[in-house]
Amino acid sequence: MTRVDRLRTRLATAGRRLRRVARIARWELGQSTSSYNRRTLAVIAVLVVVVASVGTSAVALGVASPSPNTDIYRVGVADNSPYNAVIDDHASLTARPPDRTALATGEIDLLIGGVRQPTAGPGPRSPTLLVEPADGEKGDAALTAFRSAVQSYNDRAMALEPNRTAAYPVVVELQYIPQSTLGPAAPTNAGNLTGDDTPGDDADGDDGTDTDANATDANGTTSDVDGGPANGGGDNTTGTDSTDSDAPPVADGGGGSLLDRALFGGGTSGSPAEIQPPFPFGSLLLAFLFLVPMNFVIQSYGSSILNERISRRGELLLVAPVERLDIVAGKTLPYAAIAVATTAIIAAAIGGSLLSVAAVVPIAMTFLAATFLGAMFARSFKELTFVTITITVFLTSYVFIPSIFTNVTPIALISPLTLVVMELQGEAVSLGSYLFSTGPFYTSTAVLFLLGTGVYREEDMFSQKPVPLKFLDALDARLSGIRSVGVLTALFLPFVFIAELLAIAVLFVLPIEVSIPLILVVIAAVEEVAKSIHVFAGFESDRFDRSVRTALVLGIASGIGFFVAEKFTVVAQLVGLPGLQLGEAALQPAGIGITPSTSLLLLAGPLVLHTVTAGVAALGARKKLRWYLVSLVAATAIHAAYNFGVVTLYG
Amino acid sequence: MADRDWRRAVADRVSDPRLTIAGRELRVLGREKTIILAVVIQLFVAAFSGFLVVGLVSLYDPGSVDGYQIDAAVTGDATDEMLAAIEERPAIEGTRYATTSEAYADFQDGAVNAVFQTTRSDGRIEVVMTAPEGSIETTLVVSEGQEALRALERNLRTERAASLSNPPLPLPPDTGGNPYYDFTYTILLPLLVFLPVFISGSITVDSLTAESEQGTLELLRVAPVTMVDIVDGKSAAMIAIAPLQAVAWLGLLSLNGVAIANVGWLAALVTAVTAIVVALSVAVSLLAPDRRSAQLLFSVAVLLFFAGATLLPGGPANTAARLAIDSATLSTRLAVLVYGIVGVAAVGAVRRLATRINPNRL
Repeated sequence: MTRVDRLRTRLATAGRRLRRVARIARWELGQSTSSYNRRTLAVIAVLVVVVASVGTSAVALGVASPSPNTDIYRVGVADNSPYNAVIDDHASLTARPPDRTALATGEIDLLIGGVRQPTAGPGPRSPTLLVEPADGEKGDAALTAFRSAVQSYNDRAMALEPNRTAAYPVVVELQYIPQSTLGPAAPTNAGNLTGDDTPGDDADGDDGTDTDANATDANGTTSDVDGGPANGGGDNTTGTDSTDSDAPPVADGGGGSLLDRALFGGGTSGSPAEIQPPFPFGSLLLAFLFLVPMNFVIQSYGSSILNERISRRGELLLVAPVERLDIVAGKTLPYAAIAVATTAIIAAAIGGSLLSVAAVVPIAMTFLAATFLGAMFARSFKELTFVTITITVFLTSYVFIPSIFTNVTPIALISPLTLVVMELQGEAVSLGSYLFSTGPFYTSTAVLFLLGTGVYREEDMFSQKPVPLKFLDALDARLSGIRSVGVLTALFLPFVFIAELLAIAVLFVLPIEVSIPLILVVIAAVEEVAKSIHVFAGFESDRFDRSVRTALVLGIASGIGFFVAEKFTVVAQLVGLPGLQLGEAALQPAGIGITPSTSLLLLAGPLVLHTVTAGVAALGARKKLRWYLVSLVAATAIHAAYNFGVVTLYG
Repeated sequence: MADRDWRRAVADRVSDPRLTIAGRELRVLGREKTIILAVVIQLFVAAFSGFLVVGLVSLYDPGSVDGYQIDAAVTGDATDEMLAAIEERPAIEGTRYATTSEAYADFQDGAVNAVFQTTRSDGRIEVVMTAPEGSIETTLVVSEGQEALRALERNLRTERAASLSNPPLPLPPDTGGNPYYDFTYTILLPLLVFLPVFISGSITVDSLTAESEQGTLELLRVAPVTMVDIVDGKSAAMIAIAPLQAVAWLGLLSLNGVAIANVGWLAALVTAVTAIVVALSVAVSLLAPDRRSAQLLFSVAVLLFFAGATLLPGGPANTAARLAIDSATLSTRLAVLVYGIVGVAAVGAVRRLATRINPNRL
């Protein structure tokens, strides 16, 4: 048989399998569309129409108050005060009669007084409004909201002024330059440094026009890209105004509220009202849109998988001459396709490119993979509902919350949604960042599907066992020999990282004397569980004999597997992400980011540690659950002690 | 004899079949321990997001970083005006630089955090503001710098008030109140409080459709309970657990230092909205042909219910926010009452629907 022949047969097999997968996918699609019959869809359409018409009529009649912060701050103001117009224009403020006793009793949050004219001495050079906030945080917040409401009211008034120079006496150009003491800059605007030196030197004895021209030159491209997508979701009228450089326009809208302010965001030039701190709220909201349809997809997907198990329909597929992997692939394919399609549609709608799709698809796949495993474990639809909600809440917060910090710290890159936010803001995304943020999601998807497919067999699908036992079964299904133990440990690594990053994120608000030791212990515990849980599963199902020797061998295999995988990711971090010093620094005290460059001892240390602790845990795992827990605690203690040692020695 | 009859009557009263069903429903929820686990995970995630929101607020709120001083270099021909405006902002300290290159050199060395380079040009002041890139301080520097620039703008507008047809209204002083104070109340709190409502409705759909799909409702023919009893029992259990969870969220928020007012009213609001949503889920599961359609219909209907209710004055999110932030008025409390009335009416309507449904046809 020649090589060409072999290739041809392999291609033919692959083609046959693909056809089978496609057939199952078609069947799945037909089944699920028929279950959503026409009546259901008609009812949904009617509901949508009714709510939409009620909504639009409410808006048209002017009774709509879509803003959730409507009337939360009560301001005491006289009837004839010009500030009534300010309060009317601002959703979160509501006018009340001015009454000092009401302020004391908490009936109002803010009392408006007279106006103080500027004095000759130090202090503000424009008149100040005298106000009295109520005691406490709320009074101060009300004052801040009121202040920004006045500001945006003034901005709107200025926009109507015929004398542009008097109305807009200040024009601002905002630029960002990395400071040398802050270490290497984020890779996004690297070109800025050279460009920005020019205006600085030029302006020295030169006239104003030159400076201005240079400054625009240096930043022009960035602000252009910035403006486009942000305005797409926000206020279109102001967006088009922005191009008119002669009469600087004004940030309109209610001003003070988080939403209004942020949706408009991202400006780097114009009047002082228009420049924005780099808070990507508008892009964040748009990025969140990607996550909404996933809930519907996984709900439907989970139901379909569980239905197969509860109605025992899956049995027919199992006896068919098709491989398990093909069945799972076929059943998943339609939902994956729907997820990809909706992602692409949303990306097109909000102005994201292929990168947004490429960043969101691994999230969608993780949603599906987690739902698949959950549906394989769940005993009833009620349980599935909880599993689905848990997956949604967990993944959504894991993906969404880090992306809030997009412009603040590179560690935000642990979430692929950060890439979407960066793209919507017009920043460049390097291949390294892409791999770093999506890598764990791709591998998690693969591992979850692998575990789920392992229990896609008759004895597990149609039996009612508690979820923990099912979980052990799923782990056991992936074990075959000593080597598989190490491989499985290595595969757990993305989950270990996710758990550890979550722990860091939760604990970082505590004072550092508490949080660092706590993090060290939590991380030790997470890693020890990852190294031993499948060993326990193997012993429980009598896959391995319960001798001390076997336990030690398995422990060593698991420890080596963990060590290799961990070192691999460290190397990947060093090579792929020079900009992630901060993230590494955050992980460094935690003892998982030790660089391999320092010495052989540092390299050998973790290896010895991981094998020893995994061995300890494995010794306990060969007995009952209680002994496993005891040995787990012991292994965690050893591990944590080692971490403390490393931190005190090198920290 | 009569005595025994009387006793049995009392026993029947006490052991209402509806209570039995409700109790069984809750016990099943408890027995499937993964459900408790799921609630625990939700709590954890809420704590996680709560912590992060608090962290986020302190990160983006310049007022919360006490004693943090931004050093700014000011150069160019409008330095005097800019310095006067910066003086109004306690968090920024301005320094006059004779040449722009010196200012940028100090910025590069990190001696100053911001550079304001000013130029006069036909009646306007042009300012190039430079902030550090990719630093945790960036947001702080930009927002404080913006305030200084707005002060400059205000001062100039006051000087030129004669040329303006409508001079700007005087601003109150900036006391550094938290601009994201309302975020917790208007977004996070409604989200947390109404999540259990959605869960309750979803379980009701599962619970009812599972009975009908497994054919257990047929047993009703021989059991001494009616369809209405079943609907009552299941709804009562689900309506009971939502406010408990919501109050737990509120407790968690209080632990995080968020003061919450009107807890009783909030619990009443959640109970009323849960009654509406559970009634909706019962109606959907009685009318929809199967579980998947029921779940889809329910999800869409609940989303539309919340979207529609939010558009109306006194929407659930706004009502919850106003109660929690202690800005409730008579109309807010009336809104809670209206939700209560709608909830009772919805439950009543669903019970009527249940009497008309033939359990064998489900």
